[in-house]
Amino acid sequence: MKRYFALRLGGSLAIVLAAGLLFAQVKRGNYAPATFGQLQQPSPATPTDDSVYQVSAYQLYPPELAEGEGRAETESFCSLCHSTRYITMQPPLPASAWETEVNKMRKTLGAPISDASAALIIKYLQAHYTPDTRKQ
Amino acid sequence: MDIPPPGNGFVLSRRSLFRLLGAAGGTLALGAVARHSEASQESSAMPSFTGPGVNPYWNSVGPYVSEPQKTPLLLLTDRGVQLETPRSYFQTAFTPNRAFYVRWHLDGIPNAVDLKSWRLHVEGNVAQPNSYSLAELIRKFPAESIAAVNQCSGNSRSSLEPRVPGGQWGNGAMGNARWTGVRLRELLNAAAPKTGSLQIQFQGLESGAGPEGYGSHFFLKSLDLGDPVLDDCIVAYAMNGEPLPMLNGFPVRLVVPGYFATYWMKCLTWVRVLDKTDDNFWMKTAYRIPDTPRGNTTPGDVKAGTVKMIPINRMPVRSFLISPDGDAKIPAGMPVQVRGIAFSGYGGMAKVDVSADGLKTWQPARLGEDFGRYSFRTWEFTWTPKAPGRYTLAARASDSAGNTQPDQPVWNPGGYLWNRIERQDYFVGGAE
Repeated sequence: MKRYFALRLGGSLAIVLAAGLLFAQVKRGNYAPATFGQLQQPSPATPTDDSVYQVSAYQLYPPELAEGEGRAETESFCSLCHSTRYITMQPPLPASAWETEVNKMRKTLGAPISDASAALIIKYLQAHYTPDTRKQ
Repeated sequence: MDIPPPGNGFVLSRRSLFRLLGAAGGTLALGAVARHSEASQESSAMPSFTGPGVNPYWNSVGPYVSEPQKTPLLLLTDRGVQLETPRSYFQTAFTPNRAFYVRWHLDGIPNAVDLKSWRLHVEGNVAQPNSYSLAELIRKFPAESIAAVNQCSGNSRSSLEPRVPGGQWGNGAMGNARWTGVRLRELLNAAAPKTGSLQIQFQGLESGAGPEGYGSHFFLKSLDLGDPVLDDCIVAYAMNGEPLPMLNGFPVRLVVPGYFATYWMKCLTWVRVLDKTDDNFWMKTAYRIPDTPRGNTTPGDVKAGTVKMIPINRMPVRSFLISPDGDAKIPAGMPVQVRGIAFSGYGGMAKVDVSADGLKTWQPARLGEDFGRYSFRTWEFTWTPKAPGRYTLAARASDSAGNTQPDQPVWNPGGYLWNRIERQDYFVGGAE
């Protein structure tokens, strides 16, 4: 069994292969870059009568984060677990809310982010994603 | 094309309304008040986000994307996958599988399941642990069906003010399906929980990159063994008479009628009887609501730490105006069929009332076919606007337990339980 998850590093997409041990009967976490506007139609299932039920890769649409100091760290660390669309989806949030979110990821959810990197990420999010600073 | 405005009223275009609500991140320009109502679609691109004010749209603003086994849906996030169902799919009591919304928490979700080796395990503090193949679930137990609404706890989160972090859903994180499968009680009885059992924990084929023991590693939910909802629960292998789409939980998912979807474990693989209260992140920290009327509180009380929080449970009564959606002007004197849906986690629909005068007076809507107490109930109301102008219609549902939708907003830090009376504005034009 193979498990894929996408790790976005410095704006370039790297597909990292990781081995999972628990679910031998399942293929998980297969994602592939996709393009907006290319909408697919249903196509016939693969003509096999075995017991494997499979779908194609889930689609990745990495957003363009605001240019600025700390963007590379934000993309790298946040993408360890989830898409950075979790950032761009939010309404502009107060500076304190971004600090709370980053600390929640570290302390409550175990994200391996150092104090220095966390400070950089918080500063970046506050510089670009608050009611006063958000432009895109 | 410039159409003279009706009466003396300047009409706000949807785009300028959006600006006035402070959502576009741009400047609030007085000149944005348009002199005509736009014919149909947005004339410029949709914004990529809403806020800091409330989301002025019925749905979230994400672009359409097509994921496997799905019709184009609105993208919230791509990894974990979160997709919202567009408004037009709620014109019927049952939501098509292809259009059913999607919400995963972690990114390690199945692309393939081999039913030769997949088993549903019933284990933990039981006398008789069991495991079942899908074929055994279908053959060994009587098939039970129930129509039930699956609604994300955070449905309509973008309506809260002040806005709260989280999935910025519009109103489309919900759907109704006929679920068919095995009663959870049958599986529990066969396993014979030992004395001292307190909860049942559910785990599916979902995992994340986070370290073991954290919520970022596994998604786990539990229900109390004494909760009467267990009598209604079904382990469903069919959704609207078809296999579940992978993104909605193939091969089986837990159905918890009346409860928010957080308990409806997708790709359910482990049913675990616990002899203690589940203290994992998804029970102890996430999906908790204030233990207050309607789960309502204030940012100040949360900050002061005076709010007692409990796990989210049943869905409050709601109703929605689905069509017309306000995209087209209505000629004065024309009878219009206003259609919508209503539901409640506390029982069936008693009535739906519609107001055509901005919530001053109410008239009963005609209820559609009754598919059971936990299903969407469609409703219809014939409205004949007499004169040109701007009208606000509103729908207000009452359930059989005596709950009626209030007009007061709700606020809590998780962005849950929104059920305020919904409104829809219509513009009526002259017809002669």
